Amino acid sequence: MYQTPKTKIRSAMKMAWLIDTNPSLLLMLQHFNIDFRVSDLTVGQLCGKYDISENLFVSIANLYNGFDTKGHQPFTRKDLLQVIDFLQSSHDYYRSDKYPQISAYIRQLQEHHPVREMKLLEKFFNEYFAEVLEHLDYEDSIAFPYFITLLNNGKAEEKGKRYSSKEYGRHHTDIELKLQDLKNLLLKHIDIEDRLDLRRKLLFALYELEFDLYIHSLIEENILIPSGALIEKE
Amino acid sequence: MYTPPLHIAIMENSKIIFEGLQAIICHSSLDCCVNRVETLEKLTEMIEHTPIDILIANPMQFVNREKEIKKLRRAYPTLAIAGIDFGIINHQPMLTDLSFTLYDSPEHILHSLMKLQEKSRSTEQEKEEDDNLTPREIEVLTGLVNGMINKEIAQQLHISIHTVVRHRKNITLKTGIRSQSGLTIYAISKKIVSIEDIDP
Repeated sequence: MYQTPKTKIRSAMKMAWLIDTNPSLLLMLQHFNIDFRVSDLTVGQLCGKYDISENLFVSIANLYNGFDTKGHQPFTRKDLLQVIDFLQSSHDYYRSDKYPQISAYIRQLQEHHPVREMKLLEKFFNEYFAEVLEHLDYEDSIAFPYFITLLNNGKAEEKGKRYSSKEYGRHHTDIELKLQDLKNLLLKHIDIEDRLDLRRKLLFALYELEFDLYIHSLIEENILIPSGALIEKE
Repeated sequence: MYTPPLHIAIMENSKIIFEGLQAIICHSSLDCCVNRVETLEKLTEMIEHTPIDILIANPMQFVNREKEIKKLRRAYPTLAIAGIDFGIINHQPMLTDLSFTLYDSPEHILHSLMKLQEKSRSTEQEKEEDDNLTPREIEVLTGLVNGMINKEIAQQLHISIHTVVRHRKNITLKTGIRSQSGLTIYAISKKIVSIEDIDP
């Protein structure tokens, strides 16, 4: 999403003003399960109200504003459990909000343009979605429980299937590449006429999804995995 | 002929200097986009996925890192580097293509950048100019969407596997599509293959 100039978020800033400068932060609030009626609260006050660590909230909010988390922030175990809640909530968003929306747009387009390419595009998307679901299920059933056990002071149990950060990374790359293919096909290659409104909605949804998936993988790769590795060492 | 916008990266810690340069560049007639990079590491990271034509750098960032800069230059021969001359460090011709000072007029700075643009573009001219696939690439693509592996394509076309890989890389560069299923849709929409030819 086009956003310039960028604001580096600090805890004394008013949340409502920050949303005004970057509405994508609404999605972040949703993932944190924070109500959008933020009144006149500052970031710090909002975190206090919802019992979320300021350090964590500010780090993630800054990812949405285009600033990388600098070096390693000392996140506590409680923070990391909140990160997992956050990630799980974004999984719900992909599963029951974004993907059905995109899928519906493609179906509508296909109904208006019963050309073969559109049929194939629908097939491409469905296969892609199935892959994404598989990855989300992997995280929900293997990666997250692994981290939760670790964070609750337990030893990671030796179950049949073990979590591997390598596999984790490979899934992400795949998901990002196919999304890119889909955008390129729509923007450069497939001949579809008319229905600009529908195609704009579809593309916009793809960009929104891409942006949130990008933040999602940044959180996992820059916050969850390194902090998890530190705790493993303890 | 279409030329993509010039991609300029500025490596300078001072926000005042960065914003100033960005304002001069963005308000000029140069067709470009400007990014800020903070460190050499970030630059290396960025250049891997976004090609950069011109780097404007504070030469302080290069101190004791000459080797890395030279390596970067070898890996990306089209990258042109302009140094900001603070009068502190002697101009090192190996590291920068030219330099300007903060007291130069905007016109002078833009003129320097345009000269660099010519340098960067002339090196690029040697590359393919349009995004149309060559007949050979079309043959490789046809094999791919028919589910053939590199080895089979190589045998069929009497070329080495290495060459098949190179063609595949160019196909991805030109079309922007990497996955096999994506390439299939591409091939059908460009009528390179017909839907009946493809195994279900």
